[in-house]
Amino acid sequence: MPPVPGPARAAPVRVDALLRDLGARLRRASAPEEPLARSPTGLHEVDRALGGGFPRGGLGEIAGPAGSGRTSLALALLATATRAGECAAVVDGSDAFDPPSAEAAGVALERLLWVRTPRGGAEAIRAALRSVERLLEARGFALVLLDLAEARGGAVPGSVWPRLVRAAAASRTSLVVLGARRLAGTFAAQSVELDPARPRFSETPALLEGLDGRLQLVRNRLGPAHRVAAFRLPSCAA
Amino acid sequence: MTRIACLLVPDLLVAAELRAHPELRGEPLAIISGPDPRAEVVGVSGEAARAGVRPLCSVAQARSLCARLHVRVASPSLEGAARSALRDVALSASPRIEEAPRVSGLHAGEAAVFLDATGIDRLFGSEAGFAGALLGRAERLGLPAVIALADSRNVSLVAARSLALPGSGGVEIVPPGGDARFLAPLPLDLLAPDADLAGALGRLGVRRLGELARLPSAALATRLGPAALELRASARGEAREPPLAPVPDGLLEEASDLEFPVESLEPLAFVLRGILSRLLERLEVRGLACGDLFLSLALLGGGSDDRRLGLAAPTLELRTVLRLVLLCVEERPPPAPVERIAVRLEGRAPRRDQLDLFRPAGPAPARLERLLAELEVLCGRGRVGAPRVLDDWRPHVFEMVPFAPRSGSPSAEAHRSAPARSNGPTPAPGDRERTSLAVRALRPPLPAQVQASHGQPERVRSALANGRVVRAAGPWRTSGGWWCPERRFAFDHFDVETEDGLVVRLRLDRIAGRWEIDAFYD
Repeated sequence: MPPVPGPARAAPVRVDALLRDLGARLRRASAPEEPLARSPTGLHEVDRALGGGFPRGGLGEIAGPAGSGRTSLALALLATATRAGECAAVVDGSDAFDPPSAEAAGVALERLLWVRTPRGGAEAIRAALRSVERLLEARGFALVLLDLAEARGGAVPGSVWPRLVRAAAASRTSLVVLGARRLAGTFAAQSVELDPARPRFSETPALLEGLDGRLQLVRNRLGPAHRVAAFRLPSCAA
Repeated sequence: MTRIACLLVPDLLVAAELRAHPELRGEPLAIISGPDPRAEVVGVSGEAARAGVRPLCSVAQARSLCARLHVRVASPSLEGAARSALRDVALSASPRIEEAPRVSGLHAGEAAVFLDATGIDRLFGSEAGFAGALLGRAERLGLPAVIALADSRNVSLVAARSLALPGSGGVEIVPPGGDARFLAPLPLDLLAPDADLAGALGRLGVRRLGELARLPSAALATRLGPAALELRASARGEAREPPLAPVPDGLLEEASDLEFPVESLEPLAFVLRGILSRLLERLEVRGLACGDLFLSLALLGGGSDDRRLGLAAPTLELRTVLRLVLLCVEERPPPAPVERIAVRLEGRAPRRDQLDLFRPAGPAPARLERLLAELEVLCGRGRVGAPRVLDDWRPHVFEMVPFAPRSGSPSAEAHRSAPARSNGPTPAPGDRERTSLAVRALRPPLPAQVQASHGQPERVRSALANGRVVRAAGPWRTSGGWWCPERRFAFDHFDVETEDGLVVRLRLDRIAGRWEIDAFYD
């Protein structure tokens, strides 16, 4: 007759089996979290060009003209982070964030902190930058999106960026700046520039099907630059 | 058997001053009754007393006795705050407390509070342990107190007063049933009798409580009246006392009268730091944390500037609370110089946080609340929070709700797409299909001049998009709110691509008869 395992021997076996069973879903509070290197967009081509996504603990930039798909790309980042159970924040320097659009893009709105800065050029930018600093100091946000798409060149003092980069590194947060043009210069770990996108309409009935966009990785301190990626953004109605 | 503890601060005026100005500790200090040059000394620190300064002497006399003497005018604000702090120490151990009535004469400067200590030894190990713990808490709040335990309020008060006599310690525990024996050798003054009655008893040669207790009650009542009979009952430890009742919890208040009116933020910050630090210490002693905060600034020339700061999560962090208060003052400076600062706090139970096994740790609750409050100060009320799309016929309506990422249960989706431990939040296979074209909202909508033919836009002119319409989709008609003139709406929506390559969301407001662009695709 085989020996019956006692409680002392059986317990570790059960714990091991449980840990194996739970797998990646289990997060241990006692052990430090292993570094999460990237914040992906969920768009395959874009993530491949970026080497997996924008860096955690660094500054990324999305620059492009109106209608290039830059906002959709930013919402894709937010959607990936919030659906993974992380908290994210949008510092909306333009007051242009559209919650229904974000929800349709898959953003878990309950895990998204929306900071609407006061209206008005310089004041809005100042409040936006201070808000980002506070968010990074607070820690716990996987992604902070700074929307300065309406900011004009030279509106952001250059001395801000090194401070924000240091704070992002300390909090292990992806700080992504959305603008009409590149603002952070050499302080960005990765910068992508988008070309004007091509809208697609169906013939009958006439419906907006989506946008076909294209981006170029113009700056990459983490790998090779000048990669190009094409992406397709389907309309919610399509 | 009922046990009552009496926590007593022998010289409250001095204690209140030292509590607000700890730099005066160890220095000779005299508290005077007012700013008048003929004001009398009403409180004396130990150092000043050793130099010969006594209550009721004039300021000039006091200064002649001690050249290094610091003189301060008695502050009702500081005294009130010190009394409240003493109550807080008592409330930290029992909800049944009562302040001792103020007396005149020898014990006029004291402040005492009674608390129900029945069965307290089971909580603290012994009555001595309880007394030591309470004295520690009082000391933490800057109150040099003594404590006595007895079977009744009166005996515990007399025992506490006896501790102020030279050579006494800080704790007196009268054993249960031993009140009369304890009282007998003590001087009659400890009962703080009326001056006339004390004089009459003195003329009779009655100087000890035991001597008074032995006098026949009928003869005493006949000769000296009912007050003497009451005093005799107290001397025997037989005074009638109603039981202590629980006191309702109120706001905690600390205030400071400024020596001269203050206009700039820096000196205000200095005073506020002291006030808030004392308040938070009081809260901590009671096992509470800071809830809502009320700031009242008395202004030069009358009037006051009152503000309320709501803290969504209770906190005990001085830095956090001070920063919030300063941000509030900085955002809207007081209209005139400030003469007096008062802060009232609401005590709340501290919030505990349980980490989740299946979700990444978000911002810590205390930090998050501080962050939200700071962001609201920066951006304005109602402009920080989590967006929520409303189920409504009106197009694109949403509301802001408080950001509380931990309040909900983890969604099944979050479980499904839980990231691999080393690679970050990898999207689940089905996620790519969810990425969709987003719009940037224009708030308020941008007016547009539109040439239309058969209801279809053909040319657009606006600050955003201009030129011939290349392609258009629509109209989609929405209307509603017809029962309420303020909420009534009727729109024809179009998705329009203009010559300059932009796709805008154009709409015709059929009630106002105007075209506008409310968003563009990006």
